[in-house]
Amino acid sequence: MNPKTYSAKRDDLQPRWYIIDAENQILGRLATQAATILRGKHKPTFTPHMNCGDFVIVVNAAKVAVTGKRLDQKIYYRHSQYPGGLKQETLRQVLAKHPERAIERAVKGMLPHNRLGADIRGRLKVYAGPDHPHQAQQPILWQLPTADDVLAQQEQATAAPA
Amino acid sequence: MPRVKRGVTARKKHKKILKRTEGHWGARHKLIKTARESMMHALRYSYRDRRNRKRDMRQLWITRINAASRMYGIKYSDLIHGLALAQVDVDRKILADLAVTDLAAFGALAKAARAALDQQKA
Repeated sequence: MNPKTYSAKRDDLQPRWYIIDAENQILGRLATQAATILRGKHKPTFTPHMNCGDFVIVVNAAKVAVTGKRLDQKIYYRHSQYPGGLKQETLRQVLAKHPERAIERAVKGMLPHNRLGADIRGRLKVYAGPDHPHQAQQPILWQLPTADDVLAQQEQATAAPA
Repeated sequence: MPRVKRGVTARKKHKKILKRTEGHWGARHKLIKTARESMMHALRYSYRDRRNRKRDMRQLWITRINAASRMYGIKYSDLIHGLALAQVDVDRKILADLAVTDLAAFGALAKAARAALDQQKA
């Protein structure tokens, strides 16, 4: 047995593309899922110093749900750095104006705030409607890969070069 | 007593320090005073982090085991509890290695843990 803990090499990383449908999903619960995939923590080969996650496409971002009265009570703050420059918007206003931003902000806040995080953030694609321009990447609907799928893939991978 | 000039030993000392701070950022590998401070900090960090490394690795193993066990529909805490019940004495390092190199073997352990949990419930 190898005495050293496995560390992914660049060639080992083969990012996939996943789609998440945000319709009627709770904002934060959707965001943790997306963040986990982006960070790569759903893989046994997770390597913290590398961008080992997969791409995530979120569709129907405008139809995301929240519990309770958060549509009007969840407030997004930002400051322009000028005196009196504090701006605030409720979630309802944000969704009306920029439907993608609520999810983007929620997911990005859950990723590391460093250079690696910036890299990972780039792999999140959010769209207000049901369509996305990433057909070429052949994205599949996200669900946690079962062990059987992964084993079958590994067998294929070892069989292919032979 | 012969006369001793201090330049020779000073140069030696400086060279020793600058050698150790190769690759440090900016002035930290050029100027002797900043380099000395940088070296002292670096040595402290490496001493501390040799100890922290044990925790870091364990944390990483747990993350990986969790990912693999969820593929078998069991979460990390249940897996560990189940393995304890089944008296399977495999540590996290080996579990994590199995998850990467031999997922099927990991699966056998996951199933053993699941069986032990079910048995306890019944």
